[in-house]
Amino acid sequence: MPDFIASALERAPTANPDWLDDLQAAGRQTWAASAMPTRKTEAWKYTSLARLERGAYLQPPAPATPTPANLKQHFSIEGLDAATLVFVNGSFNPDLSSDALPDGIEMVRFAEANESQAEAIRAKLGQVVDGRQHLFAALNDAWLADGLFLRVRRNTRVDTPVHCVFLTTAQDQPFSLSARLLVVLEDSSEATIIEHFCSDDLPQNAFTNSVTELVLGANAKLQHYRLQREQEQAVHIGGVHASLGRDSTLNSFHLGMGSTLKRVDVVVNHHGEGAHCDLSGVYLPRHQQHVDYHTCIEHAVPRCTTTETFRGIIADEARAVFNGRIHIHPNAQKTVAELSNRNLLTSTRAQVDTKPELEIYADDVQCAHGATVARLDEQAMNYLQSRGIGTRQAEVMLSFGFINELVERLPDEAMVEFLRPQLASLFGRQSLVTGRPE
Amino acid sequence: MSEQIDRLIKKEYAAGFITDIVSDTLPPGLDEDVVAFISGKKNEPEWMLEWRLKALRSWREMVEPHWAHVTYPDIDFDAISYYSAPKSSSDGPKSLDDIDPELRSTYDKLGIPLHEQEMLSGVAVDAVFDSVSVATTFRHKLKEAGVIFCSISEAMHECPEIVRAHLGSVVPQKDNYYAALNSAVFSDGSFVYIPKGVKCPMELSTYFRINEAKTGQFERTLIVADEGSEVSYLEGCTAPMRDENQLHAAVVELVALDNAKIKYSTVQNWYPGDSEGKGGIYNFVTKRGVAHTNARISWTQVETGSAITMKYPSCVLKGDNSVGEFYSVALSNNYQQADTGTKMIHLGKNTRSTIISKGISAGHGSNSYRGLVRMNPGATGARNYTQCDSLLIGDQCGAHTFPYIESKNPSAVIEHEATTSKVSDEQLFLCQQRGLDAEKAVSMIVNGFCKEVFRELPMEFAVEAGKLLEVSLEGAVG
Amino acid sequence: MLSIRDLYANAGDTEILKGLNLEIGPGEVHAIMGTNGSGKSTLSHVLAGRTGYEVTGGEVRFLNQDLLSLATEDRAREGLFLAFQYPVEIPGVSNMEFLKAAVDALAAHRGEEPPDAVSFMKRAREVSAMVDLDPNFLKRGVNEGFSGGEKKRNELMQMLLLEPKLAIMDETDSGLDIDALKVVADGVNAFRREDRSVVLITHYQRLLNHIEPDFVHVLAGGRIVKSGDKSLALELEDKGYSWIDEEVA
Repeated sequence: MPDFIASALERAPTANPDWLDDLQAAGRQTWAASAMPTRKTEAWKYTSLARLERGAYLQPPAPATPTPANLKQHFSIEGLDAATLVFVNGSFNPDLSSDALPDGIEMVRFAEANESQAEAIRAKLGQVVDGRQHLFAALNDAWLADGLFLRVRRNTRVDTPVHCVFLTTAQDQPFSLSARLLVVLEDSSEATIIEHFCSDDLPQNAFTNSVTELVLGANAKLQHYRLQREQEQAVHIGGVHASLGRDSTLNSFHLGMGSTLKRVDVVVNHHGEGAHCDLSGVYLPRHQQHVDYHTCIEHAVPRCTTTETFRGIIADEARAVFNGRIHIHPNAQKTVAELSNRNLLTSTRAQVDTKPELEIYADDVQCAHGATVARLDEQAMNYLQSRGIGTRQAEVMLSFGFINELVERLPDEAMVEFLRPQLASLFGRQSLVTGRPE
Repeated sequence: MSEQIDRLIKKEYAAGFITDIVSDTLPPGLDEDVVAFISGKKNEPEWMLEWRLKALRSWREMVEPHWAHVTYPDIDFDAISYYSAPKSSSDGPKSLDDIDPELRSTYDKLGIPLHEQEMLSGVAVDAVFDSVSVATTFRHKLKEAGVIFCSISEAMHECPEIVRAHLGSVVPQKDNYYAALNSAVFSDGSFVYIPKGVKCPMELSTYFRINEAKTGQFERTLIVADEGSEVSYLEGCTAPMRDENQLHAAVVELVALDNAKIKYSTVQNWYPGDSEGKGGIYNFVTKRGVAHTNARISWTQVETGSAITMKYPSCVLKGDNSVGEFYSVALSNNYQQADTGTKMIHLGKNTRSTIISKGISAGHGSNSYRGLVRMNPGATGARNYTQCDSLLIGDQCGAHTFPYIESKNPSAVIEHEATTSKVSDEQLFLCQQRGLDAEKAVSMIVNGFCKEVFRELPMEFAVEAGKLLEVSLEGAVG
Repeated sequence: MLSIRDLYANAGDTEILKGLNLEIGPGEVHAIMGTNGSGKSTLSHVLAGRTGYEVTGGEVRFLNQDLLSLATEDRAREGLFLAFQYPVEIPGVSNMEFLKAAVDALAAHRGEEPPDAVSFMKRAREVSAMVDLDPNFLKRGVNEGFSGGEKKRNELMQMLLLEPKLAIMDETDSGLDIDALKVVADGVNAFRREDRSVVLITHYQRLLNHIEPDFVHVLAGGRIVKSGDKSLALELEDKGYSWIDEEVA
């Protein structure tokens, strides 16, 4: 197997704006000086990158061909009145995208930024994510050519969600692409942003390396969704890195479905006092999928709060990894942070590895975490059965309920309506106990 | 409160005196000759020397682990003396009457009388001073019950087949860096064998004492509980106050055969270093037990001493229905650092494990819980419950939790909960308003916090542990 | 019993008490009323000796001693009891253990033998019954998982058990329904004796329907601005506090 680090550097980025040169060079340097993680690398203890290294993904996507018809069905969210921005295999697709964005929000592609926009982008880009700690963010920098910048102006509330779609389609050769999103909410602004990674139904040979940076100014409020619904063969390594200003609120929901190998790092930095983060997510790997969510909440300042809930149902021969770290820095007094991670294994060959970590250097804090791995609650099963509900149906109801609890509390009704049947169909597919189709 | 707290955490280490005794001490450094010397001193069989040398060779290939949440300067393994024994007993203990009076008074001062007639409530003691066992009490009484309780050096001569069958069977020579080092140079330790169906008639206990400067202590304990037997064992440790850091790298192996029960309790009070963080013991210990069918292994530890602790008493739940338990109180005051926890490896069906960990951080102390719960594919119906709580006293300390939870069996149930709290101003004020002084208030709160663990200790030691904690916390609050 | 002269005190950097005077004789029940922020809780905390409050002027004498020079626990041992407005939870420490420690500390202070466990238990059960607390509460952690009303009754129970000379009840009536209020009132009335005094800090006049005070004081801006008998409480209930401000101004 050729050395992945070296091969990745050989893949030259496509033309990029000059003002990104330094960031790109720094990314290349960090990447070149790094080694591929192994099982001994703590952050990758349970996730092997062999599938990525074997896959020869390092070619860029084939040049743009006419957009296949009917791509819209793969990402449209019925009933959601959103402004949509669509990237197909890494390239912006104006035909599929909305013509206009709602008032108060500015959208710029890096490749098209004018001087003042470039300046605004450079002021924040790469500031939230630490490439030395997140190897693949360094690779994203190294390949940096284009990206999406969204800015919500001060004191503006944008009611229309912005739906950012990153879609891959099957190609003849394996390929890799970078996705980069920078969202800046200026002071006292509010917005809803949906990141949506999806693909057409054909077996994919794409490796997506995504980095998202969210910068929330004082008192800003962001409702954020990140939906990962890629085809089974896809590989995705991505990160969401947020910086929260004083009294700001980040609500972030994550859905992990699809992909043969998926690793998502969610890093939230509480930078201003009084910030609040509500992080939740569900992961539903099946077949031989591998999903790995690494979350890290940095409480660097006093009086911030975090509630974090992730749940997973792991089927077949799939494997899930969850690592939830909460780090309370020495001066972060009056922090309130809670983390809960619950897992259901539904097959004898499914696996889960979970590690909720607390690292606390301040004394006046309230922190708690809990993790469980279990089967469906037997009492609840019995109760349903005693009401005449069949075993199979009871399993589906309870599994669905386990996940649905997190989905139901999402604020956008259209999103709930969109997710619910997908989850239901996932559970309706086979017996959770025997693994056999019904 | 912080002012009050600051005043309460400071108190002299009571076991910090030095015994003035002539010792046989090897010059510092480690090579095959040193290993051969130790083996020769013990008059060991050839296979044992080979076993040790194999460990030494492995150790040389290994690298010092740095994953724990502790920081300390590199250890110079060539500056340590690997063997030290009081001259008078370097040939191993004879009768209790032959013990050097200085030694005897050392144990008296520590509250561990070696005269059988003075023993409290029938606890048999093996006293290990630096590298060798100096006395084992009640041997004859135990012998009547068929229980073998002696130093491991003696066991190699008295019952070599049992030693050979089990030594390294739970913690192989190459298990980890410090276990490999221990396997090469261990000089003494306790050995216990409980025959089939026997319930050991008294508590067994080993008392470890480091005395000599610039020495390391590498004891090795092996407890074999044969089918259907039961034993409760307690170890205690102290060391003089010295400015240098001293290494303690022990290995403890427990074998609980079918239906056997082993309860292993530790009250660890090695010298923790002074209030500036100078000196103290590095306590890097490997402890592990294998539980066969229906067997139960229970670890209880109260860790108040040592400058740095890395220790994970673990259970391999090999047999169906076997049970593993871990109850821990770990206190880090001043500049102490503790990274401790357990591993529960569930292999058999319907195996059960319970982990209750209470970490207390005060001063500049750092306390980490690190635990692994692993459900292997065969662990059908297995269960684990983990509760780890941290108590913070003062705002300069740290409390961390690193639980690793791995499940490969869908019918296994794992529950993990962790909380963090502090001794608050309000709690202290309420207690003081009811007439309690701050020290009493804090010790009540801390003891309440540790209650679930203390009640697992053998009765005689539970009170001791509470007091020890109180002393170790003095200066923490005031 | 208690004599407060020209007391000034800060909570953190803010001056809260500004020249407060109050005389409490043996056997008397005083009610101190006032709006939020008038200094009621500060007064009780300063008297009990909570850290975080600084006395900047004045004098407090309790049973002919300089109260302010005593440590918090010694004030308690001398017979000053504060029933907390928000009693804190102490998980892991049982009520029984906690109370025994308090009773023992009191006995040691008086140079007496601590009560034996049996008679202590008996007495603890008796006083629990007086305030309508299930004796099982004694086994539970101090205030752990108690409802608001249970915490208040638990405070009252401790008062009855420890038999202080002066009990300061800091808004013990807040948040109680009428039945619980009666329990509290009955407890206080049972406690009343010619050598014991009570200070009731309260917002609401209704408590005084059940415990008849000898004196009612209005605390405003860190001072006692008006004193009277129980009719003053009725007047306050009727007219609110603003007329006091005007009168004082």
